[in-house]
Amino acid sequence: MIRASEVSVRLGGRLVLSDISLSVGAGEWLAVLGPNGSGKTTLLRALLGYLRHSGSVGAPANIAYVPQRPEIPAGMTVVEYVSLGRARLEGWGRESERGRSLISQVLDRLELGAMAGRFVTDLSGGEMQRAAVARAIVQEPQVLLLDEPTSALDPQHRVSLLQEVDRLRAQGVAVISAMHDITLAAKFADSALLLNAGTTALAGETTQVICDPAFVETFGGGFKIAFVDGLPVSLPLK
Amino acid sequence: MKKRIWSWRVTAGFGVLFAVALVVGVSVGPIPLPFAGVVQTLFGGGHALSSVDQAVLLQIRLPRVILAGLVGAALATSGAVYQTVFRNPLADPYLLGVAAGAGLGATLAFVLGGSVLLGATGVALVPVFAFVGALAAVAVTFLVAGARRSDPRTLLLAGVAVGSFATAAQTYLFQSHTQILRTVYSWILGQLVAADWSTVAWTAGYLVLALGVLFVIARRLDGLLLSDEEAHSLGLKPARLRAVAIAAATLATATAVAAGGLIGFVGLVIPHLIRGLLHRATNRSLPAIALAGGAFLIFADLGARTLLSPAELPIGVITAFVGAPFFLWILRRGGRP
Repeated sequence: MIRASEVSVRLGGRLVLSDISLSVGAGEWLAVLGPNGSGKTTLLRALLGYLRHSGSVGAPANIAYVPQRPEIPAGMTVVEYVSLGRARLEGWGRESERGRSLISQVLDRLELGAMAGRFVTDLSGGEMQRAAVARAIVQEPQVLLLDEPTSALDPQHRVSLLQEVDRLRAQGVAVISAMHDITLAAKFADSALLLNAGTTALAGETTQVICDPAFVETFGGGFKIAFVDGLPVSLPLK
Repeated sequence: MKKRIWSWRVTAGFGVLFAVALVVGVSVGPIPLPFAGVVQTLFGGGHALSSVDQAVLLQIRLPRVILAGLVGAALATSGAVYQTVFRNPLADPYLLGVAAGAGLGATLAFVLGGSVLLGATGVALVPVFAFVGALAAVAVTFLVAGARRSDPRTLLLAGVAVGSFATAAQTYLFQSHTQILRTVYSWILGQLVAADWSTVAWTAGYLVLALGVLFVIARRLDGLLLSDEEAHSLGLKPARLRAVAIAAATLATATAVAAGGLIGFVGLVIPHLIRGLLHRATNRSLPAIALAGGAFLIFADLGARTLLSPAELPIGVITAFVGAPFFLWILRRGGRP
């Protein structure tokens, strides 16, 4: 579905991503892990085709992208905002009965139905993040790129939002998400890519990557990995 | 939840408002004209007015009212577009310094003289000079204010500084060329007084181009309210679309300034009013905003003509009376419509 081969990105003359290769098939979920500034966002933007890069990326046209901090347009209602996701399929400013019904369903599933008429500027950070994911879902993409989609969410909404993404994955969408929460990464993602200073530090099955001693080292230590109910959690050492 | 995003009926409603403004605008004045006669003459082609009344209507009032409508439509539309492309609810051709830049360009055209004003083809070139001045102003404002993510107030402060500089340069220019002083002053105060059919013709020509482009790309402009990456994921080329939108909005502003002088706040008040009224941010409302802006300026011009009759107030005074308090109100609400 989406494949990258030796992708490198230079920003302002500095090499920020170096020789990254990955492949995510239909119905698969890849978690991109790594310390702050390791190149996760840059990788997603390169996969989107937005950043100039060397190497090759093979991807379908309909890729949805949810940034870590979505733009919050003044004066736009939640339903208008989510409707923008239909533009690629239906044309800008056009609506179909099917599109309206999908938007309504997705808003309800993400607990935004009651806020459909509210301005997005009045939403909390977590509600806005859910609205951005709703916009990406109604785009009916073949590939979904999420940049730390749960950073502003409470624990309950983190899980419900990722379950919604998982539902898309089950329908055959390839999902790539930059994440910090290793427990949720292990629960939802089939595989993981650990970035360190723009290079691939580890790649493989998610739990294996997280349990590798190099994982903690990449983050500079200070925590250890333990398991609760079969899922990894990070525990501070001090 | 089955709310429609937009309905054509809204645009049609504002079309009716514009037509009403047009008829009221041409009927009221020092010589009152009967509504029925005006409507019949304008839309029915009959001869319901006396020959004097008909001359007042067709040679004096109608070009002025149509020009006011065109200028209002241009300012309101370009304001709405600036607000979208800069993702800044406080953006306005006047506040961004664009109008002052256009004013400087137009003054330069006056300084260079008559041959420039009426070009080889007979098309007035004042709007072209105004356009270059306006583009320079918007470029400087944007570059000084930095990234589009910057605080809305930074863009406005940069606009105020650029506007002050352009106004100072304009003042220097016309004070050092006293022969154009009268022309420039009457133009600064608003040219609608001297409106004739040739002014209407070239204004309409430039605006058909500028507003035509903006109406064609209007729906896609909604994508510029998102981040560039998100817009890209929806199939847009955001940088190119933004450049086209800014160029067309600036041409509309420059034409409005060249035709009507410096008229503030229309580009701020009308888009906010319409979007707030409809509870919609979508740029499908651009034609409705254009019609409402046209109607607003026709009524403002009516106020300018009649409040101190027989003396005339500059139209910018009326728009500022309405617009400045409105701007302060929006500022207090943090930019929400």
